[in-house]
Amino acid sequence: MPLLTGGLVAVVGAVVLAAAGGSYLGSTIAIGLGYAVTTVGMVVQLGYSKQLAFSQSVFMGVGAYGTGILETRYGLTSGEAVLATIGLGLVGSLVIGGIVTRAPGLALALATLLLPLFLYPLATFSSYLGSFTGIEGIAPLWNDASYATMLVRSGIVIAIVLGLATAAALRVMRSGVGLQLMAMSEDERLAAGLGASLRQRRLEVFVFGSVLATVGGALVASSQGLVTPDILAEPAEITLLIMVFVAGRKSVVAAIGGAVVIEYLTTSSAFISTNLTTFEAIALVLVLLLEPDGVAGLVGRGGRALRGRLANRGAAGAVAASDAAGSPDAAVAP
Amino acid sequence: MSNFLNLLAAGVTAGAIYGVFAACIAIWFRVSNVLNLAIGDFAMLGVLGVAELSQVDHWNLAVSILVDLVGVGLLAWLFDWLVLHFALDRGQADHGIVTVFFYTFALSLGIEGVTLAVLGTDVRSAPAFWNGPALEVADFHVQRAGLLVIGLAIVVGILLWTYLRTTVSGRAASACGESVIGSRIVGIDAARYRRWLFVATAVLAALFGIVESPMNGFTYSSGPTISLLGVVAAGFAAFRRPGRAVVIGLALGIAEALIGGYVSTSYNDVILYAALFALIVFQPRVLGLSTVPT
Repeated sequence: MPLLTGGLVAVVGAVVLAAAGGSYLGSTIAIGLGYAVTTVGMVVQLGYSKQLAFSQSVFMGVGAYGTGILETRYGLTSGEAVLATIGLGLVGSLVIGGIVTRAPGLALALATLLLPLFLYPLATFSSYLGSFTGIEGIAPLWNDASYATMLVRSGIVIAIVLGLATAAALRVMRSGVGLQLMAMSEDERLAAGLGASLRQRRLEVFVFGSVLATVGGALVASSQGLVTPDILAEPAEITLLIMVFVAGRKSVVAAIGGAVVIEYLTTSSAFISTNLTTFEAIALVLVLLLEPDGVAGLVGRGGRALRGRLANRGAAGAVAASDAAGSPDAAVAP
Repeated sequence: MSNFLNLLAAGVTAGAIYGVFAACIAIWFRVSNVLNLAIGDFAMLGVLGVAELSQVDHWNLAVSILVDLVGVGLLAWLFDWLVLHFALDRGQADHGIVTVFFYTFALSLGIEGVTLAVLGTDVRSAPAFWNGPALEVADFHVQRAGLLVIGLAIVVGILLWTYLRTTVSGRAASACGESVIGSRIVGIDAARYRRWLFVATAVLAALFGIVESPMNGFTYSSGPTISLLGVVAAGFAAFRRPGRAVVIGLALGIAEALIGGYVSTSYNDVILYAALFALIVFQPRVLGLSTVPT
């Protein structure tokens, strides 16, 4: 089932990008799918496991800067750079996660909230990282003489990666480890009593979310052709949180939709991009108050209500038919 | 020596600002178990509102400040009445991490978005209360606005300490955060304390923003960074100890100024916050957080 869903996500993404045909819309969707790789990881980390870590934008920065530096300074191809960056993200998240996941609850949140406070100025003042302007000239994932073909094929690569990330996230959530994570999110003592290794699971969730964020950052940088320090600033993390919480923090598919829609809205029109923060705030308040599982929860609730109504109508129809068949009048009924 | 004293004066001024915002966050967390991530936005709203009323609409400064503070207080009251009341008192919403962070985070986003749409992206500051060049004391200089900030911080600190420690109402407010059910049993209206402290800290933040803005201009997006600095300082005070939060805020400001003066002006924030990060992850006990909201 996870593989099927992942495959479906990849196919739908690829078809949409092919239909967009290298247009500006296609470019926006490709970037949105890059962000979606990160939000899929956040569903497991923040939504499902309730791990209070706000370091995803920082790991996106690791992915984006890693790809940019390896390509422009060390001459790696985009594929090699992305793969090397994934390795970097894995090692980095293991090292950082090994330390930060020792910090409990709000301490972990505070530690990860501190990261942008020193990494953003570091990137803006470091000439190695390109200072304020960042690093330009990052190659797309698929080079081609035609810009439109390059955009479509690079986008399809991103869609395939997103499909793999989706399958991996669903596999984790539906496994025994997923059940332990769910137990931990409800009550850590209970989970420990059931035999879950809290520290190991915390580290695994942190690494999972961070590696996907690194991949997402690398894909976004390849799609945009550049990386700037803004990816490390607090607003970047805020955007990611909105993408996940408004769409549905426990639904992988919703988080993908949230990333694409918000990325689209950011660039769709001057009115929407100017007022997007206000709309996001209203949507977030409504979601928090009315449906904590976001738009996905609302759709799920609506679907269940509709199914229930249809089932009731079917049952009522069957009862009426059975009554009609069993009644004396049925024999003479026309 | 004069260089050190100048840096110290700058650090104490910046630290007083951090300390007050941290104290506002800690006081309200103590009552509600919710982090006020909109505290910086209330300060921003205070500054930009006064700047607009007094400099663009040419209102009298005192009237501008009064109207602005009433407006900020009203906004805080409305948010509590329309959102927090339903989320926290009626149990109609999710709890745990969502409650701790995301309601005030949404408020912060909303204030930022509306301010951007209405007032634009310009850097602004409220008119200075005490005009003139920096004051010379012996061999070092202190900005007049800085002195006002420090003075206001001392007055507010004493008032808050007196309220929380010596009044029945202050003790009742603290009890709400310890146990909502327990406080209800003994007849304390937790929702009322939460609401009025939310309003009071919002107005206080706006007032501090207005007083300190002649030193640092504000834009529509200044709020989150101020809130984050306040959260960091309050975090080192276990989010519940306003007095300790002020001390931590002062220490942060002084450390930032001294690192900027003696080590690197560009990398002072990098060094300071990296050191704090290392401190949290290697010695999480320094935060004094014994319980985790789930």
